[in-house]
Amino acid sequence: MPTEPQITGMSSRRRAVFFWGLVLVFLLVLPSMIFYTAGYRISFEDDVTSVVTTGGVYISTQSTDVEVYLDEEQIERPRLFRSAYYIQNIDSGMRRVVVQGEGIQTWVKELAVDSHIVTEASAFNLPAIPQLRPVTEFQTSTGAAVFTASSTPIELFANATTSEQFIVATTSATSTLTMNPEYEFVVSLFGTTSTSSVSVFADHVRDLDRFRFMGPDERAATTSTTSPAIIESNNMQLVTRGMELYALWQGQDQDVPYYFCVSSSSAASTSERYGAHVADAVFAQVGTTTATSTLVQVNDRLCRTQIKLDRLRQDVFLFDFFPGSSDLVLLQLEDGLYVTEIDDRAWQNTQLLYPGRDLRVIIENDVIYVKQGDQYFEVIPEIEST
Amino acid sequence: MSDNSHLLPYARRVDFKVARANELTGADRRLYRFLEIVPGVAAWGTLLGIVWASIYASFFAAYFIIAFAIYWVLKTIFLSYHVRYNWKRLRHHMALDWSQLISKFKYQDHYHLVIFPFYEEPQEIIDGALKGLIEANYDPKKLLVVLAAEGRAGANAIKKAKQAEELYGSQFGSFQVTVHPSDIVGEIAGKGSNVHFALRSVHDDVIVPRQIDHKNILVSIFDVDTVVYPDYFNCLIWHFMTAENPYKSAYQPVPLFTNNLWEASAVARVMAMSSTFWQMIMQERPDKAATFSSHSVSYQALYEIGYGQANVVSEDSRIYWNLLLANDGYFDVVSLSYPIAMDATTAATTWGTIKNIYKQHRRWTYGVENWCYLVYHFTKHKGIPLRRRWSIALQQGEGYWSLVTNPIMLFILGWTPIFLGSREFHETVLSYELPIMVRNLLTVAMVGLVFSSIISLSLTPPRPEGQSRFKYIVMALQWIMVPITMIVFSAIPGLDAQTRLMLGRYMGFWVTPKRVQ
Repeated sequence: MPTEPQITGMSSRRRAVFFWGLVLVFLLVLPSMIFYTAGYRISFEDDVTSVVTTGGVYISTQSTDVEVYLDEEQIERPRLFRSAYYIQNIDSGMRRVVVQGEGIQTWVKELAVDSHIVTEASAFNLPAIPQLRPVTEFQTSTGAAVFTASSTPIELFANATTSEQFIVATTSATSTLTMNPEYEFVVSLFGTTSTSSVSVFADHVRDLDRFRFMGPDERAATTSTTSPAIIESNNMQLVTRGMELYALWQGQDQDVPYYFCVSSSSAASTSERYGAHVADAVFAQVGTTTATSTLVQVNDRLCRTQIKLDRLRQDVFLFDFFPGSSDLVLLQLEDGLYVTEIDDRAWQNTQLLYPGRDLRVIIENDVIYVKQGDQYFEVIPEIEST
Repeated sequence: MSDNSHLLPYARRVDFKVARANELTGADRRLYRFLEIVPGVAAWGTLLGIVWASIYASFFAAYFIIAFAIYWVLKTIFLSYHVRYNWKRLRHHMALDWSQLISKFKYQDHYHLVIFPFYEEPQEIIDGALKGLIEANYDPKKLLVVLAAEGRAGANAIKKAKQAEELYGSQFGSFQVTVHPSDIVGEIAGKGSNVHFALRSVHDDVIVPRQIDHKNILVSIFDVDTVVYPDYFNCLIWHFMTAENPYKSAYQPVPLFTNNLWEASAVARVMAMSSTFWQMIMQERPDKAATFSSHSVSYQALYEIGYGQANVVSEDSRIYWNLLLANDGYFDVVSLSYPIAMDATTAATTWGTIKNIYKQHRRWTYGVENWCYLVYHFTKHKGIPLRRRWSIALQQGEGYWSLVTNPIMLFILGWTPIFLGSREFHETVLSYELPIMVRNLLTVAMVGLVFSSIISLSLTPPRPEGQSRFKYIVMALQWIMVPITMIVFSAIPGLDAQTRLMLGRYMGFWVTPKRVQ
């Protein structure tokens, strides 16, 4: 048996050595951590060790079931926030981002990446085959839509698919079915709300062609302007100017969305990084008076306050914000319903939501209702997750 | 006029036992009030400063948070190392035959004065404490036991004490029941005033009549839920006999809040073990420690300061600071690295447990009043070397400041630059990397919790009948609650206590309810 305890208290010397050892670790680790988080990396390329600076790309997606590629290299899917991809350690330069997936349209963007800076972009991917939800006059007791034999929508589903079951019944069998209250509501909507049968540029065309003889269609336009002149959401306005559609930023300068801004100081580099159309829009404004300029300086960046929307050189019958977004715009063009992004860096991605030339469209409570012929349906802008 | 001749010179000052600013006058009062304000201002200033920096100096705030997260990881390593070291020592001490170790000393003429202050605790707790003394490997006739009842608890408390005296009194060297009157001017209701009264009573009723040399008495002031481990008094005697300054030392055991651990909820267990771990850390840093909860000290030392203070909330630590000041800055804390068993804070309901733990920790963290007391006296007591005064003041101040601010900074404010930062900041790699870096560093720090889990299981009493083995798994996994418990039961009650002191809304003593009935 020992005559005294074998383990004595920790000596002050031992504690001091440990303490100062950790202080040393702190002093060594802190600068490296700070440099790392600021974007500095050590490169061993070509057998040469050097310190390089990197940037990042942040891509948000609407669907979690997508694949993201950066310069043809697939990015690992995030574990936690699966609709947000933060891609680290990217050398500065032009990078091509592709967001794609099965059954959805592909979103592609070329983005300029700068050292120490994270370039943001918001991808959207509409269904490759349009998704519809029929709104019929009758429905079964379980809520399934019922088309009568005379109204079977052969053409309706030629280019689309439905997200819900429906059945076809004979006209005489409707007595066993129930009326669909949503149908009455939608019919009344199309009955009372002005819809998209006339070009939004009709007024402008009429003014331009004042000296021409009017045709019958144009006379109709003078009495039935369809889309409101200005649509606003979260400080963003959609307006027509001449024969073009624009998105205008109406909020505080410092809150202007990132895609309105460029970090280049010359027209040439801006053109290279963001596209000639962006460079033209920005540098045409440089030097103009404050009163007429649509440019603002935010930190060290030049930011436009308006962006022209791509209408695929077609006439526009309706425009509105895509439900739930102030960065995407719903456009009814001559050959269908499209969604386009306001972000015009490199180009604006525009995706077909539903094809058709004889459509009438109403957005009610973030639901896109379409009337085609005698049929009513809702267009579903996303694929139901499996 | 009372006779103060037995007091050490500094203990004779009229302000020696000051508790708060309003007990002083003139410049002293202003100084003390200023000191009461300082901790709250420092804590709130830090927290609001980080919010401010996140908005107006986002880059600085981000770098500061990275530095702080690294500091936290290293601090975790540092403290975990201390816990592990003390754990080894604790287990070693628990395995030793202390009665044989002390056989070489002449200790037979030494007495242990054991004081159990109590309020409304149930009889079973009093019985448990007294049985622990009887079952200890020590001659019970050398134990002078005082059951210190509170007069304000009514006749029932006195009845319990008398019942205990009847049952166990004859087995000890002496057994005295004291009843602390509720109407003594200048006192606050609480453990400190009760103990103070008991010490005076036992001096007149036991020590003087039996002519026991003050130097031969070791006083153990125990919470009434304290159950001593078998060799506690042997271990205490050994350390007393081998201490460099036996009469100028306080002897601190490791409180294990394990009496009711199996019945306690997970959150109560985590808080109980966290408190134990902190004391284990302090066992390896005795030069930075003060007495906490149940502890022992020479009667002579207490007699020389007039038995501590009867007017403070955190009396267990204040008694040490009284001793330190009266002894010109030199009074040691000797780590026993030997356990005593106490109760984890519980209640009949989960919400009740949460409330009780919160109130208990608010009372503990109100120990910041000791910092004001210390610094006030450091400005007066030139007999203590200046460097030592600064060292203690800064170290204690940092302790109270970090207790309140660090968990909030780490787990909440660490993210503020991301939410409140400028647009310029939001566009940078730094802004995106900051949460990743902090998350990774905190994950590394969480490895310390694995050690905590292992050590806590090794200190857990054997599983009683009726308790499922599955509870071992719960006990291992309960440590993931630590980030929350640190904020809810350390930082927020600490901030609450410091804010009350800052605003002059002084706290009273809150008696922690013992064991669910």
